[in-house]
Amino acid sequence: MNTAEIIFLLVIVITMGGAAMAVLSGSIIYAIVGLVTAMCGMAGLYVYLHSSFLAMMQILIYVGAVTILIAFAIMLAGPLYRRPREWTTLGKFTAALGVALVTFVVFSRFIGEAFPTGYAPAFGMGTREIGQVFFDRLLLPFELISLLVVVGILGAIMLALISRGRR
Amino acid sequence: MTILLYDQLHIYLIIALFLLFCGIGGVIYRRTLIGMLVSMELILNGASLNLVALNRFLVPENSYGLAFALIIMGMAAAEAAVALSIIILIYRKYQHIEGENLKEMKD
Repeated sequence: MNTAEIIFLLVIVITMGGAAMAVLSGSIIYAIVGLVTAMCGMAGLYVYLHSSFLAMMQILIYVGAVTILIAFAIMLAGPLYRRPREWTTLGKFTAALGVALVTFVVFSRFIGEAFPTGYAPAFGMGTREIGQVFFDRLLLPFELISLLVVVGILGAIMLALISRGRR
Repeated sequence: MTILLYDQLHIYLIIALFLLFCGIGGVIYRRTLIGMLVSMELILNGASLNLVALNRFLVPENSYGLAFALIIMGMAAAEAAVALSIIILIYRKYQHIEGENLKEMKD
């Protein structure tokens, strides 16, 4: 086992631990920290999948934008000491675990049967190929994504203005 | 010649499945709406990791999977913005953000 594999195992542990912390932690602040950890681990996995551009975008968009947005929402949604604990009843925990385990078992059978093993072709897709795919074949989804972001921004501003007028 | 650990498709698929597992469990288990939103981000990340891994191992001659992962990232950012503005509106109206007690439309 060489150094790259050891770092890969470390990245896997970071990703899984961050995801588990984002779900199981008692406070919402620790959930945000877990989400950031999982996102950084995902960026490492993208590096191992030979797509460094996607890793950089992951850090920029998720760690830089989405998490900061969620942190602002936590700060705006009232003081922390009046917040209820994140833990709910035992029955709800059992239900969540059951549904998630059923999903895990079904899809793990699908993974085990459907895909070939031990096949790793060369892969070198940089920003040039991604840009060519976007502007040759996927032009309509690309423009629709920009339209979606604009509509999302306008909708958020409209919701804020409506609530201010009602107060 | 042994195959390196990071050159196997199944490991990436299992990590993505674990993210889906955590996300589905968290959407049901979490009490506040922001916690549910965090779990949904985990589900979206698992989906985009699946797309990139399948693109890298099964169809390495084009890059549609990477493009769709970028589209998922943009969609997740817009979704988080709208969902958080709705959550703040709910907090201003009801003074809490618990998902269980929002049953005005259900009753």
